[in-house]
Amino acid sequence: MSGSASASAKPQGVVILGAPRSGTTLLRRLIGAHSRIACPPETYALSAAARFLHEESFAEGLRIGVLLGLSYAGFSEEEVLSRLRGFVFSFFEEHAAREGKPRWAEKTAFNAFHLPAIRKLCGDEVRYVCIQRHGLDVILSLEELVKKTGGYVQELHDYLRRYPEPYEAFAQAWIDCAGAIQALIDGDERALGLRYEELVADPEQALRRILEHIGEPWEEGLVERALGEAKSVGFGDWKTYAKPTIDRASVERWRKLPRATLRRLADRCNPTLARLGYDEVTVAEPESDADARRRYELGLLLNKMRADKERARAAAEEKS
Amino acid sequence: MALTKSDLLEHLADHARDDLSEVTEETELFSTGLIDSFAMIDLLLFLEKHTGAKLGPEDMRVDNLDTIGQILKFVESRRKG
Repeated sequence: MSGSASASAKPQGVVILGAPRSGTTLLRRLIGAHSRIACPPETYALSAAARFLHEESFAEGLRIGVLLGLSYAGFSEEEVLSRLRGFVFSFFEEHAAREGKPRWAEKTAFNAFHLPAIRKLCGDEVRYVCIQRHGLDVILSLEELVKKTGGYVQELHDYLRRYPEPYEAFAQAWIDCAGAIQALIDGDERALGLRYEELVADPEQALRRILEHIGEPWEEGLVERALGEAKSVGFGDWKTYAKPTIDRASVERWRKLPRATLRRLADRCNPTLARLGYDEVTVAEPESDADARRRYELGLLLNKMRADKERARAAAEEKS
Repeated sequence: MALTKSDLLEHLADHARDDLSEVTEETELFSTGLIDSFAMIDLLLFLEKHTGAKLGPEDMRVDNLDTIGQILKFVESRRKG
């Protein structure tokens, strides 16, 4: 098997990919619990290397960046990539060695925004494990992430500058990430695609497929071991560590979105949902103008009710 | 037609993002964030359609609309009124 650890002198690394909030941290926990694979918390090493390779297009097809720049100094593209790859991979390899494991896996959620450069950097030397999740659930989860962190990482901020309505910005970010990942899954046999919904429904089955793809044996009790593991403090999804089990509670939460929001998101996301094999989102008949107006008026009354309650609470506190 | 507790729970379950299976008649829904503004507006529209009467500013009080018990009582008072 081309992807097996024994097929090459140096065991291949594993790059976990998914749009942010697609279950990549859960995947990291599961894969990193294997006795032969070390997977550190988010390192940002690949996305940092991708930024190093960033190019701008000027004039007719001329791509200005480090690869072309160094080529004029006598360093071939392959040499630059090889040195950079060696530098970045050395951290993963050293971490794996410290863990006493022969292989490494890397997962940083925002890698998905830098896929072309990461593919160029990694060349033939990794296997990819790609996770896709229903886009509307991703959007809801991104909204929660932003509320929790109180800000936007650069990659998301770029979308907000282009799409001032946050749901639409998150939708477009998902479309771009999921589309690039799907192109990798469809066009590169080193990439395995799986769905978040399948992973949470049957983690063992999904993990068996992953291990087969990367050429490692199944280990009994792997899922339970992964969920019991709590030592890896670092960057990543805070929610998954609070859960001792895997459940389906985070599947299809999007169905509770308001109809108007669903309609707007469906228009934007349906082509990508269909491309990924999900059912397209259909929304019941449009709301009448009268209902839409009344909904707006009730929203205003609700704001007033909330403000009245706050005032009453503050007054009671002052009294006591 | 009287609004029953099960009608109300069914409506809320269809519109709230969180699981409401543990909710009792006394559970505070809106003031605790268990149902968000979107779901609350859906609920208000549902109540208006059910009672056939428009809600006014005087009706919009947390102690009318925050728990299942309060909502059922409020709707019943509107029906009688």
